[in-house]
Amino acid sequence: MKSQNRFFFFVLLFLPIFNYAQDVTATNNSSYFSNALFVTLLIAIFLLLIVIIALAQSLKNISASDYILNRFKKTEDKQGDDKNNATKITTVIMLLFAGYHASAQGINNSAESWLIGGLDMLTFYSMLTVIFLEAVVIMILYYQIMGFIKTEKQVLSQKPKTKTILEKLNASVDIEKEHDILLDHDYDGIKELDNDLPPWWKYGFYLTIGVAIVYLINFHVLGTGDLQKAEYDKSIVQAKIDLEEYMKTAANNVDETTVKELSGPDIEVGKELFIASCAACHGKDGRGTVGPNLTDEYWLHGGSVADIFKTIKYGWVDKGMKSWKDDLSPMQIAQITSFIRTLKGTNPAGAKAAQGDLYKEEIKTVTDSTQVISDTLVVMKDTLK
Amino acid sequence: MELQKFQYDNKIVKWFAYATMFWGVVGMLVGLLAALQLFLPSFNMNLPFTTFGRVRPIHTNAVIFAFVGNGIFMGVYYSLQRLLKARMFSDFLSKVHFYGWQLIIVLAAISLALGKTTGKEYAELEWPIDILITLVWVVFGWNMFGTIVRRRERHLYVAIWFYIGTLVTVAMLHIVNSIEIPVSFWKSYSWYAGVQDALVQWWYGHNAVAFFLTTPYLGMMYYFLPKAANRPVYSYRLSIIHFWSLIFIYIWAGPHHLLYTSVPDWAQSLGVVFSIMLIAPSWGGMINGLLTLRGAWDKVREDVVLKFMVVAVTAYGMATFEGPMLSLKNVSAISHYTDWIVAHVHVGALGWNGFLTFGILYWLIPKMFRTELYSKKLANAHFWVGTLGIVLYAVPMYWSGIMQSLMWKEFTPEGQLKWQFMDTVTKMIPFYATRAIGGTLYLAGTILMVYNLIKTTKMGSFLANEDAEAPALQKDFTTHGKEHWHRWIERKPIQMMIVSLVVVMIGGIIEFVPTFLVKSNIPTITSVKPYTPLELHGRDIYVREGCYTCHSQMIRPFRSETARYGEYSKAGEFVYDHPFQWGSKRTGPDLARVGGKYPDSWHYTHMLDPTSMSPGSIMPAYPWLFDDQIDVSSTVAKIKAMKRLGVPYPEGFENIAAKDMEKQAKIIAENLNKDGIQTLADREIVALIAYLQRMGTDIKNQQKDTLRK
Repeated sequence: MKSQNRFFFFVLLFLPIFNYAQDVTATNNSSYFSNALFVTLLIAIFLLLIVIIALAQSLKNISASDYILNRFKKTEDKQGDDKNNATKITTVIMLLFAGYHASAQGINNSAESWLIGGLDMLTFYSMLTVIFLEAVVIMILYYQIMGFIKTEKQVLSQKPKTKTILEKLNASVDIEKEHDILLDHDYDGIKELDNDLPPWWKYGFYLTIGVAIVYLINFHVLGTGDLQKAEYDKSIVQAKIDLEEYMKTAANNVDETTVKELSGPDIEVGKELFIASCAACHGKDGRGTVGPNLTDEYWLHGGSVADIFKTIKYGWVDKGMKSWKDDLSPMQIAQITSFIRTLKGTNPAGAKAAQGDLYKEEIKTVTDSTQVISDTLVVMKDTLK
Repeated sequence: MELQKFQYDNKIVKWFAYATMFWGVVGMLVGLLAALQLFLPSFNMNLPFTTFGRVRPIHTNAVIFAFVGNGIFMGVYYSLQRLLKARMFSDFLSKVHFYGWQLIIVLAAISLALGKTTGKEYAELEWPIDILITLVWVVFGWNMFGTIVRRRERHLYVAIWFYIGTLVTVAMLHIVNSIEIPVSFWKSYSWYAGVQDALVQWWYGHNAVAFFLTTPYLGMMYYFLPKAANRPVYSYRLSIIHFWSLIFIYIWAGPHHLLYTSVPDWAQSLGVVFSIMLIAPSWGGMINGLLTLRGAWDKVREDVVLKFMVVAVTAYGMATFEGPMLSLKNVSAISHYTDWIVAHVHVGALGWNGFLTFGILYWLIPKMFRTELYSKKLANAHFWVGTLGIVLYAVPMYWSGIMQSLMWKEFTPEGQLKWQFMDTVTKMIPFYATRAIGGTLYLAGTILMVYNLIKTTKMGSFLANEDAEAPALQKDFTTHGKEHWHRWIERKPIQMMIVSLVVVMIGGIIEFVPTFLVKSNIPTITSVKPYTPLELHGRDIYVREGCYTCHSQMIRPFRSETARYGEYSKAGEFVYDHPFQWGSKRTGPDLARVGGKYPDSWHYTHMLDPTSMSPGSIMPAYPWLFDDQIDVSSTVAKIKAMKRLGVPYPEGFENIAAKDMEKQAKIIAENLNKDGIQTLADREIVALIAYLQRMGTDIKNQQKDTLRK
């Protein structure tokens, strides 16, 4: 009965959270459960709660021991009192939760709120308060336990040693008294004791079951947690926003319409990048191995700065040239492009035979925009193939 | 009540103990070779049977089934007889069991080295060996239950509950996961495909850890730890609760190996929550073990057996807390595919299984040889060398795993991936080297133990048949006074077996059946077509060479992965994958969409010498693929087998498969020729290239289809 009762209270504890999560989604699209700070604080609150329950349990065990009962001249009511104690503590904490739930609702309705780590201030501070109060309760319980242990020491000075905190937490029966709980089992000389389940273990088990239920409700009943697809889509949107923000201020914002031939140190950087990323297929000197020769005047996809830039950026996937836009920055691609342009006519030994069409430099100067358009058409045709 | 006289069979225990030591050293040596190959690729020796892809399965199978397997049988055969006060049911069955198991191990080692593999982790053995395993397991169960029936002890002790749980669950896991269609004597295709295969495989893989590496060892802990410490077990009630909750909850947790994959969300979530709930049942075993030592900690400081056991139980506790943490989605997002997981399993294998086995051996051998341990000093040295080995193994792997994962995920402000995959591989080298040192130390410790125990056997005289006596069980049994409700089932071994089977079946059924029956779990993609015969041959080569040991085929829905590898993987893409090849580790990059990424000639040159195409690569070379011919004699059988599995090849396709294959091979050979590479179209490399170039491209075709419209 007793433990059932406690479990019931434990489950009750979670209820405000459910309401809370629901309210949050009603007013705000993003779930609080996706906020790391909120989750951390919530976990801290629960862990401290477990400690409180375990300590309360130990307190009950100590205070229920024979000599204390005699000392305080109390009879069986004592047990009931203790149960009430535990109940009181849980109720107080529940009320705390309920309170902060209500206040959180309030803050969501107000138009503006200051954020701390993505949490509005009131939620943050009310959670902090709960943690603080829990810490206070733990301190009080701890000193009470220590007080009992001290009196125990004084009263029973003949007793050689007191239980360690660990033993209290485990609610183990003293080794000296263990014959009282020795079962009549004997398997090849192995005996078994009938110690109670360690309270911290038992309540820890309940806690994980509670977490499991909350988890499933969050993701599959209320739908307040993002499943993987939603999470992914959001991350892509966020990345786009971040990139736009960054590009507003970034210096190397070039694309195929604005790219220009670079010179000097950029060529050197381009060379290094070329050796690191391109040489495997095109050879260190651009002579062409798996990929085509880059030192002659013939180009499969055009030889202008914009053409080469685009070839590197988007690739010609069907022909084995991968797209590098996710690996290299626009500036880096421009540097490689400029380096490649310096290779023309170097005639390295063992160069691969020419492929593609002869490319004449003049074309570039005539109409840059039509070139881009015709290239786009080529790209489209190619995708359709 | 008349006392009956009988004898315990120590000989079978001795054999299993010797086999444990022998295979332990062998398994660890192979592990060391694999560890060396990761930073010194020349240790692959350019030979098919010594490349990492084949060595790694040999290592895992040897350690799990040969070392730990024989360890289990050693522990069970010793403790079961004494806990039941009866000799093993049949000496003949014991012998069949022993020789049968060693035969399986030898066949496994040879067949895996030859590339005969199903390509499913920890279940790599081909179908004839699978059948042999089933038979030997039945012999084991028969012998065990025969002994239980003839017992002279009314109630079954907690160790035996764990043994029974192990027996039924391993049988169930092995049979369900090994359902496959034979193509030839040494080749089969998994009956399941893609997502279903993944779910079944990781239900198996996870519970192989649970019911092969954990429950039997918990049973052994419950016998040998109180024996060695001479203390009563801490809590009978805790034993009951943690046993039943452990076997019930464990079975559900498999999908936590598949978080963020194409497995349906609900199955992933079940995997997560059951993993969280698994903490307490697992820790129940640890605290019941550690608290049994209450009042004996002074002994722990002296007794090397207890030292090993304490570290083992602590390692168990650490690994079983870490496991649920790794099952959280946001942790798995970082840890999956990295060395972190390798570190995690080795804390379990080296710490829990290894150290508990060593503790038991140090206790058992002197006892059976009626003497003292040859050298306590050496045993202590083993303890410290081994512990240091574990630390040196695990710490660098944790570090490198987290580091590599964070590098994979890092973007520049411009929105590009900051690191090439190769950058992250080069960073791993020093960590791989340190890990190998840790492994060497651990192996050195084991060799010290073997020496010490051989010397011990030389000093003593072996007691093959140990006299014992006990009264026979009375037919009628009446309880005296109030007894714990659980005592009832402890008197009923058959009921115990049935109830535990039912308990372990629930999770599996609830997780699989919907994915087989409910269509929405695996949305079909019309552009996904069966493999061509050449690609199928290439895929079999991929499986044979164990490519899945280093390359995943599962792009998770993260921006960092779609930027690096392409569109994330969809459940419908794998419907013709018998077996699935998602892999669990990215020593190399993911290959799910490698198709069309590089030219044919890139693959050709890369397989011949990986460093030529990706400088700094630690991938082994595969020169034999350039000489060996594609096994065309099996093409018809392969297509037929696939058709039986429901792959929709047209009617009579097997008859024209050879032609189709020739045609495709010729195109690839011509392609290579254009890049100046002369090769015959009938070589294995051509088939492999065909498969690699196909991978993940079906979805791209779909995109083209929609463009055309």
